[in-house]
Amino acid sequence: MKNNKNKVSRKKSVMGWLLNAPYLVYSLIFFLIPLIWAVWLSVMDWNLMSKNKTFVGLGNFKALFTDNKVQAAFINSYKYLVPIVILCFAGGLIIALLVSKLPDKIKGIVAVLFFIPYLTSGVATSVVVKYLFNYNSVLNTFLRDNFNLNINWLTDQKYAFWVMVAIVVWKMSGYYALFILSGIESISADVNEACALDGSHGLHKLIHVTLPMIMPTLTTVIVLATGLAFGIFTEPFLLTGGGPNLSTTSWQLEIYNTSFTRFQSGYGAAMAIASAIQIFITLRIINFITDKLNHKFGF
Amino acid sequence: MKKKISLKTVIITIITLVLLAISLFPFYYMVIQSFTQWDMVDKVLVPHGFTLRSYEYLIGRGGATNSLMWVKALLNSFIVSFPTAVISVAIGLGIGYSVVKLQFKGEKFIMNSLLFQMFFPAIILLVPRYMIAKPLANNYAGMIIPLCISIWAIFMYINYFKTIPNDVFEAARIDGASDLRILAKIAFPITKSVTTIVFLSIFMQRWSELMWDMLIAPDIKMQTLNVLISTQFKPMGAFPGPMYAASVILTLPIIILFLCFSKYFKEGISFMLK
Repeated sequence: MKNNKNKVSRKKSVMGWLLNAPYLVYSLIFFLIPLIWAVWLSVMDWNLMSKNKTFVGLGNFKALFTDNKVQAAFINSYKYLVPIVILCFAGGLIIALLVSKLPDKIKGIVAVLFFIPYLTSGVATSVVVKYLFNYNSVLNTFLRDNFNLNINWLTDQKYAFWVMVAIVVWKMSGYYALFILSGIESISADVNEACALDGSHGLHKLIHVTLPMIMPTLTTVIVLATGLAFGIFTEPFLLTGGGPNLSTTSWQLEIYNTSFTRFQSGYGAAMAIASAIQIFITLRIINFITDKLNHKFGF
Repeated sequence: MKKKISLKTVIITIITLVLLAISLFPFYYMVIQSFTQWDMVDKVLVPHGFTLRSYEYLIGRGGATNSLMWVKALLNSFIVSFPTAVISVAIGLGIGYSVVKLQFKGEKFIMNSLLFQMFFPAIILLVPRYMIAKPLANNYAGMIIPLCISIWAIFMYINYFKTIPNDVFEAARIDGASDLRILAKIAFPITKSVTTIVFLSIFMQRWSELMWDMLIAPDIKMQTLNVLISTQFKPMGAFPGPMYAASVILTLPIIILFLCFSKYFKEGISFMLK
């Protein structure tokens, strides 16, 4: 019997390692080695192609502090983060609240339709935005003829940044709405009944009952939106190239350009590490705040 | 009383539909422009004339430099995205099952390894990953393998298996079923909702990937549709019509996939929140 048990546990062990083998090999080649390599590259001066690398110590990291592109990427991360988190959250909440009050028959299909922008490739979105905001497009001709407005959406510093934000919010709101909707629908009937008895409805109910009840969902949404704000690449890459005046640039874009178009790959590696540190610290702060809020509402 | 409620519902429905129309406007605009005569593209908001010229351009009629490059690009997108999603599902399923249900010795090690990896944003690994994958440049393997494992997918499976009682698997084992058989005949069907959400999400992410594909597959024969559009529409000279048509073709497969599986998808989303 004992022998048999040993045999089973050995079989399980072999099977376990076998099922994990592809992941372990992958992690070695595409995670662990690159990670060490990245740290090593970050102290080198290297142009991606050449066999020669020069050790520069912490020189790359020192240079980060005086690089206006790095400063722009650092500041823009927060400039993107705040409106994206707030507007995605608001957009998702509005959609979820509206959809939750719809008749059951159309609820499902409407939620799915709101979700479609999330499925769209940033490239397709960029095509539409680029041409729609062209000088001679129907939109700009209309604005010029009727309001005498001549807006350079993508080349004017005032507008380009908000175009990027609008694209992200448009894309993500329906997705986050699904999360919030699940949260709202998981509120039990008792709670809703109690509210009705106490005469709590409308905005009062939203602020004092619904929002606190779905606090964990909101945390998920905020953390997801934060990751998103730090990962912006496609839209500025295709629409503005990070400009005008670095107002729409992001870490991803600057790291890509530094490493692969300016061929300062060692420096690019240092930038990537700096961006990772910023993301890490920011997420910690956000976790701290949402933990406090969750605690306050009893989760 | 009943009438009042329905009036409220009507108002809410109208507001919702207006919001929905705004949210879907870019798709409407994209489709309209793709069928509009070339001299009116971007100048109208309602269909003006009707022409398939933009689509014909994409299959090599009407002056494309490389007649079938758009078709090839669409094919490349499928060739890359489909295996990536399948591998992600297979790996996730295997790890989820082994870590949660097999109770084998390496379980802790695997969990720690996964948690460790979660801390590092992929952008750090970009340059070295590119150097490692460079021998596979302009090759499907180089496009598929480096992005074929998703830590998120693995965690989805791990969390899902935690919700399934052990008896299901133990019973099968006592009946003498092998682990591979249990995986295929029990674990795979049981995880249907997670598999749907993982497969669709990874497929979509891979389909829309830009940075990695630009780096690893710059050859025009290997470009995905996503990359081909982005390289073709950047210079000022491109015809807008075919770009809209290509965007429609880029968007459609994903939307169709999701609409087909939207039922399971909702189950999956509510699970993701637990």
